[in-house]
Amino acid sequence: MNKQKTNRRSFLYETGKLAGGGWLAINTPILLAAGHAAEEQRKAGGNWVNMTPGEALAFAAVVDQIIPPDDMPGASDAGVVYFIDNVLGGFMAAAGGTLKQGLADLDTAAITAFPGSGGFANLEFDQQTELLQPIDETPFFSTMIYLTHCGMFALPSWGGNKDRAGWTLLGFDNRHAWQPPFGYYDALAGAGKDF
Amino acid sequence: MSQEKKSVAFDTRKEVDFVIIGSGASGGILAKELSTAGFDVVVLEQGPYRTAGDFSHDEMKVNILHEMTNHPGWSDPQTFRHDASEKATVRNSGPPPALYARGVGGSSVHFTANYWRLHPVDFKERSMLGSIKGTGFADWPISYEELEPYYSRVDWEIGVSGAPGPFDPPRSRPYPVPPLPLKSSGALLEKGAKELGLHPQAAPMAILSQPHNNRPSCMHCGFCMGYGCEANAKSSTLATMIPLAEATGRCEIRPLSTVYRIETDDAGRVTEVAYIDAQGAQQAQKAKAVIVAANGGETPRLLLMSDSARFPNGLANHSGLVGKYLMANAHSRTEAVFDQPLNEYKSVQVTRIIHDFYENDPARGFYGGGGIDARPFVQGAPVMFSLNGLPPDAPRWGKAHKDLLRHNYTRRMSVLGSCTSLAQESNNITLDPELKDTAGRPAMRITYSDHADDLAMAGFLQDRAVEILQAAGANTVWREPVTRTDVLAHLLGTCRMGSDPATSVVDPFHRSHDVPNLFICDGSSLVTSGRGQPTMTIQALAFRASEHIAGFARRGEI
Repeated sequence: MNKQKTNRRSFLYETGKLAGGGWLAINTPILLAAGHAAEEQRKAGGNWVNMTPGEALAFAAVVDQIIPPDDMPGASDAGVVYFIDNVLGGFMAAAGGTLKQGLADLDTAAITAFPGSGGFANLEFDQQTELLQPIDETPFFSTMIYLTHCGMFALPSWGGNKDRAGWTLLGFDNRHAWQPPFGYYDALAGAGKDF
Repeated sequence: MSQEKKSVAFDTRKEVDFVIIGSGASGGILAKELSTAGFDVVVLEQGPYRTAGDFSHDEMKVNILHEMTNHPGWSDPQTFRHDASEKATVRNSGPPPALYARGVGGSSVHFTANYWRLHPVDFKERSMLGSIKGTGFADWPISYEELEPYYSRVDWEIGVSGAPGPFDPPRSRPYPVPPLPLKSSGALLEKGAKELGLHPQAAPMAILSQPHNNRPSCMHCGFCMGYGCEANAKSSTLATMIPLAEATGRCEIRPLSTVYRIETDDAGRVTEVAYIDAQGAQQAQKAKAVIVAANGGETPRLLLMSDSARFPNGLANHSGLVGKYLMANAHSRTEAVFDQPLNEYKSVQVTRIIHDFYENDPARGFYGGGGIDARPFVQGAPVMFSLNGLPPDAPRWGKAHKDLLRHNYTRRMSVLGSCTSLAQESNNITLDPELKDTAGRPAMRITYSDHADDLAMAGFLQDRAVEILQAAGANTVWREPVTRTDVLAHLLGTCRMGSDPATSVVDPFHRSHDVPNLFICDGSSLVTSGRGQPTMTIQALAFRASEHIAGFARRGEI
């Protein structure tokens, strides 16, 4: 029998709700329909597929609270919102309602706490932090933490990690071949030096 | 491999010599050995036929979406509970409780490739120490000496890199290739261990440090644990045995073929194996003999599903022990951050191990033995590190969180303790009474609680790990809590080998005590768990079983 490729039929199951830890496990082989399309869309500054422009701004504010910009890019500059837009059309589709309700609740909280602000995305950075602190154990925010890290550090073809910003932050380099020495301590050991 | 694949397609209605269920660590060896011995073999594999070019560094696919471990065609949930008083449930997060890879090559494709032999003591510890109350602690029907030639065959034919260590059992041949190059985690483990008077040694790994058997050496890309090797340097049966089996023209690998029943006739002999093929159609392959090599979880599940009027408790289950005595090896993990970069994301997981605590020691006050290794663990990959690599008291978001991510990633490592699991009847694989998979098969139900001694041993190894890391000069050390496991990456003991049909499922040659043309050879055959790295032993058993099964077939004794 000749080699058979993976069966790429997608089975979409509504398996369970978001766990408190923010992990949504879907025990089915949902493969990203077009991973590279997300990267292309990001490069082109294209339209949002699974969120409104307003939601995209609010997502950007939340992901920047999780991994803020400093001398290195924050999560939104690294394209994490494109990653979220991408996976909301894929394996995280079931989480879309929770996330969008969470954003709406944040807007309500923002307008209540800071009348006239018009919404969460318009607040100052520290004001946003203040509103998130009391809710950072909720399914909404746990899911945001989960997705922000996935988007920041996964292969750029998933839509985030723009220009490998996440990997540069960590000091990771995705090569297919390395040679020893690999790190500081094995280099010293290999040279017969103590450390 | 350079072997040319000779396609062969057997008629399902015509008896082949052997159907092998599962193409993994043991099934791949059985397929190669029996086909090269001249027998016609059909291998039924539920997963897809991926090859090196299909593998990637994609953490989303592998770590988040579990591409390697999902059923490729449908939802196949597992239920889990710690003991029979609980209702087993499906988790909606993380990896499945019985964690194994589906695909040609099975879990040998995604494994970490630690290749420890058992020691002589592992085979006869019950006689040496006496019984342990409430357990099925037993001797093996075979000795280390009897298995040793087959361990050496694994070294050479599968391909193991290593060097002898001070606690190693006797070996008849040297390793075929030297150890893989030292990583910083290994250098630090070695330093800390030596400060404490311990005896660290090079890790035996089924990953090639030099070209061997027409396969290339490791490129140190760093994506081993959970991933398929893109270079064929990891010695999976996909890279080693399957090509040799297919080159015979007598072995047909049928991927995407999920077995749901083994059929028997009125004489109590196996006649055919029923499965769902890649197109979703029901098929049945007739065979003179069947070998179940589906792993210590799926093998008992299938036998229990194959019940009949003649075998009301499941096939080959006269003893009542099919599915029982599940052993997973207990583990502990200790984390450390050092001042300088280790860059653990490069190269293989493990380069140094410690076997000073392999033997049981009554002075500890509990039964057990184990080993220690240094490695990046799954947090070597960026997404997994960012989600689960920081100390428990670290902020989960914000500026301070980002600073820790930036500082720790290249400077961190894990030390793992792996140890014995005692065989307990209450730890087992059964069929879930309610839940079925999409194909209508009863879901696998796992009931498992580590024995108190297993957890004590894992904790003991963690205490040593903390000392070693501190002696190595770690800046920060923290313990991952040692708790009852609910993810079992090793599935052992569920069709145990023995001479007495009342207390074992297969005989010392892996033949079912109850069904003369049914053999079972995989992790389920193990009588004791060893100290934490079972694949080497599963494969030595598979080489040995192949030799005996081929002999039985030639002599008309099946």
